[in-house]
Amino acid sequence: MGERPTPFSTYSTVVREEWLDYNGHMHDASYGIVFSDANEELFAALGLSVDYSATARASLYTVECHIRYLAECSLGQPLRAATIVVAADARKVRLYTELLHEDGRRAATGEFLYLHVDTALGATTAMPTDRHDRVQDMLGAHAGLPRPSHLGLGVGAPRAGLRDT
Amino acid sequence: MTDDRLVTAGEGTGHPRWVAGAPIPAPLRLHRATVQPSWVDYNRHMSESSYLLAFGDNADAFFRYIGIDEQYRADGHSLYTVETHLHHRREVGEGESLSMTLRVLDLDDKRVHVFHEMFLGDGGPLLATAEQMLVHVEMRAGRSAPMPRALARRLEAIHRAHAQLALPETVGRPMRINRA
Repeated sequence: MGERPTPFSTYSTVVREEWLDYNGHMHDASYGIVFSDANEELFAALGLSVDYSATARASLYTVECHIRYLAECSLGQPLRAATIVVAADARKVRLYTELLHEDGRRAATGEFLYLHVDTALGATTAMPTDRHDRVQDMLGAHAGLPRPSHLGLGVGAPRAGLRDT
Repeated sequence: MTDDRLVTAGEGTGHPRWVAGAPIPAPLRLHRATVQPSWVDYNRHMSESSYLLAFGDNADAFFRYIGIDEQYRADGHSLYTVETHLHHRREVGEGESLSMTLRVLDLDDKRVHVFHEMFLGDGGPLLATAEQMLVHVEMRAGRSAPMPRALARRLEAIHRAHAQLALPETVGRPMRINRA
């Protein structure tokens, strides 16, 4: 293609009243709603979302989720998401998603590990070739994007991520 | 505040409060829940955000236990979550009952490192865990602030009581794809 690689960035939303907590800021769990919705748009683009799980009797299950809360979000603020496919094979997909304020400041970052599961057996299974190819295409398209320094670090790692780009 | 806002189970009454001199359970068992219809996704399993909600309610029960309640927040301070790392072990469906534990792994004058477990029913299998870093904040200024001595003393006592527990295997472990 020759174009500069960009993260998958179709998702945007506005902070809703029902997402706020008793402090008037977005609740921890509401960030989870936004991350899930944003990642689901990416999976829909790869043909791995709701329709797929209904017909293929297989689905992507979240096995791990690591959220860093960086800035408060309040009622009515627009948020958008930018996602990188960090790693993937036939049974696993690892995503990194940033939730961004209008001015580009990061509200939160999330790392997610999904397993492709046969829903009848409750065990991992390889994706069909066409889906796996789409995932590998996006992985390849994102390969040139910079990886943040906090990627793959555990909880309580030094917060260098607050300053990196 | 309006009625539309998210009211967590930790709000209101029903969770144990700190009693000076009373033994401290290791781990703490402060919160139980039932998987609500609104918590399940198109796979009919609990959704990602619902785990965060349930663990958040468990954290709220812990806050109430150590004395961080409506009055404490009205006075301008609170504990904020800065980081959460969930591990999912087993799916759970609507109507199932959940029981939670919480342990204090570490703390300093501003931060508390905690670990939650979610079990199916009483003594059932482990469903999920959450490792969290909490920071004591001065809410108006929006910055971290040292905890008052009375709160720090309670947390130190809990930390000592929980030192006997084996460190969970996932603590501090980064996320990666393991290839066979």
